[in-house]
Amino acid sequence: MPEEINKSVDTRSSAASGPALVHDDTTAKWFLISSIAYFFIVGIIAVTIAAKFVWPSLLGTVQYLTYGRLRPLHVNGMLFGWLLAADMGLSFFMVPRLCAVKLWSEKLGVATAILWNAIILGAVVSLLMGWNQGLEYAELPMPLDIAVVVAWIMFGVNIFMTIASRKYDQMYVSIWYIMGTILWTAFVYLTGNFAVLFATGTNQANLNWMYVHNAVGLIFTPVGLAIAYYFIPKASNTPLYSHKLSMIGFWSLAFVYVWTGAHHMLHGPISQWLQTISIAFSVMLLIPVWAVVYNFFATMKGQWHQLKDNVPLKFLMSGVVFYLLTCFQGPMHSLRTVNAIVSKTDWIPGHAHMAVLGAFSFFAIAGCYHMIPRAFKTTIFSEALANWSFWFLMFGGLGFFVTLWLGGFWQGWQWNNPSIPFIDTVIALKPVWIVRFFSGILMFLGIVSFGYNIMATILGAKDRPAAA
Amino acid sequence: MLRKADSSFGFAIGAALLFFFIGGTLTTIVPPLVDKTWSKPFENNDPSKGPTGKLKPYTEIELKGRAVYVREGCWYCHTQQTRTLLADTKRSGWKGVDSPISTPDEFVYDTPHMFGTKRTGPDLSRVGGKYDSQWHRTHFRNPRDLVPGSIMPPFPWIAENPEELRALTAYIQTLGRSKNWRPDNDYEK
Repeated sequence: MPEEINKSVDTRSSAASGPALVHDDTTAKWFLISSIAYFFIVGIIAVTIAAKFVWPSLLGTVQYLTYGRLRPLHVNGMLFGWLLAADMGLSFFMVPRLCAVKLWSEKLGVATAILWNAIILGAVVSLLMGWNQGLEYAELPMPLDIAVVVAWIMFGVNIFMTIASRKYDQMYVSIWYIMGTILWTAFVYLTGNFAVLFATGTNQANLNWMYVHNAVGLIFTPVGLAIAYYFIPKASNTPLYSHKLSMIGFWSLAFVYVWTGAHHMLHGPISQWLQTISIAFSVMLLIPVWAVVYNFFATMKGQWHQLKDNVPLKFLMSGVVFYLLTCFQGPMHSLRTVNAIVSKTDWIPGHAHMAVLGAFSFFAIAGCYHMIPRAFKTTIFSEALANWSFWFLMFGGLGFFVTLWLGGFWQGWQWNNPSIPFIDTVIALKPVWIVRFFSGILMFLGIVSFGYNIMATILGAKDRPAAA
Repeated sequence: MLRKADSSFGFAIGAALLFFFIGGTLTTIVPPLVDKTWSKPFENNDPSKGPTGKLKPYTEIELKGRAVYVREGCWYCHTQQTRTLLADTKRSGWKGVDSPISTPDEFVYDTPHMFGTKRTGPDLSRVGGKYDSQWHRTHFRNPRDLVPGSIMPPFPWIAENPEELRALTAYIQTLGRSKNWRPDNDYEK
């Protein structure tokens, strides 16, 4: 790995570029503060819908708060209000530092953040009103879809112009992943929100799943990995193990991921050959995943003791383990035999939450813990509270994932025995949903302690100046 | 070769898009061109080729009902596909007769599609005609009155709105009925 990249990751980038470069981080701050606020608000909705599985009549007579309207609000709120906004904020933090230049335009960045917040508020209103397009992850009505495209172009232009004016010739792996995210998201989003409207039935479903799967695979994965590639070396103060391995991970991800959408329709009304292609490529996903995970573990060699009292590193490395697990599950339940048991069961939300919460939200939280004190030139309000937030999210997450996987398998086996009436398979899952609800409360406590810690760090920034 | 992408901005963008478009094109644009059943509505008059029947476009009231189904997010918990699994054909079956599996040509008029990813409640791909309107009305008002142990939310604002209730029930009664497969066509209205 070239010296200047090493430096830009190992030390403050200002040290590498002669006269100290002071980053404004205004845009990054806007994005992160609003995203953490949505993390908290949508967390309340998450706990509410988990409660509805246990007490199905809860808030049942209020049409705006029925399960079918809160669920898309939970999904869209967590994906776009919290996670994607946090990822964008962290990109606005990382890219100028990796390029040793200021962000191309803070004004454009702040305008993007304002537009993004308007979109999220619009989403809350439209989803509660039931203005739902009826396509998963693409629920938002057309005007909001168009606003997302505009915001994405504003984000992309700003980041690309910053990269184009970079001081270092070579681009660190996080930069490729962010560029990949911006480019692929553009096409994935257009497919899932616009192209689908020109198709019907199976054809539309195929486009819909291409979007749904790649929203995770080509939006949250690359930007999440960009964050992990940046903050793991930073937080552990250790250079990345292998530049070459990171290239293998990136280019195999770029090639393999997009083929897998049809595995959402295994055994369903879609061509068999397309199902087989999606299975083959789903299994190949093991290549980019293991290339990335090996690189992170090898980076940590001899450094594991740092996990003991380094909260961002705890989030990052357990995020890597969850990433490995979720990306092992994915290929496995794409196999027809396994799919016949787990498909459509509660295994699916268990898997999805491990990817989006366990892996990518953990990366984003680590990024926030690392970045917020630096952007506000202060120190974290409470290390102890940060540690609590980790353990709340860890135990809540594990309780959630593990019970849903086991429960999902159990449910699938019951479904495959047609002599068991369907309603009995619902009643049997009740204990699973009770554990899920209490795990959700633990996760919510994690979100509250994380959000409170960040808020107190920012509000008390003047009282605790950063150590040089 | 990809070394070049390390330092060349344009090369990195070009390669990332090229890699993406190979798979993207082959899995989204090509399949409907190859497999015509994705776009041709189901029609069969020959009993030796499986269940007979014809897929009809939705009427105005059925479309209204479908809009209610979409609005309330029924599709988050109810799939609409009888998969190629023995258990699915039995669970979608009726009075001891197994249901035919769902085929793409049965869904040509569906937009948005309602195949679903999660089966919290039973699959609805063959539910049309199994329960009468009175049953649905009571069920929407409070599912637990008819199915103890159910966790479906109550929908009193639909049960008490005659127009929406009629439309939604009309839509549900169409589900899976393009194929005639049940004994003596014993459909309830």
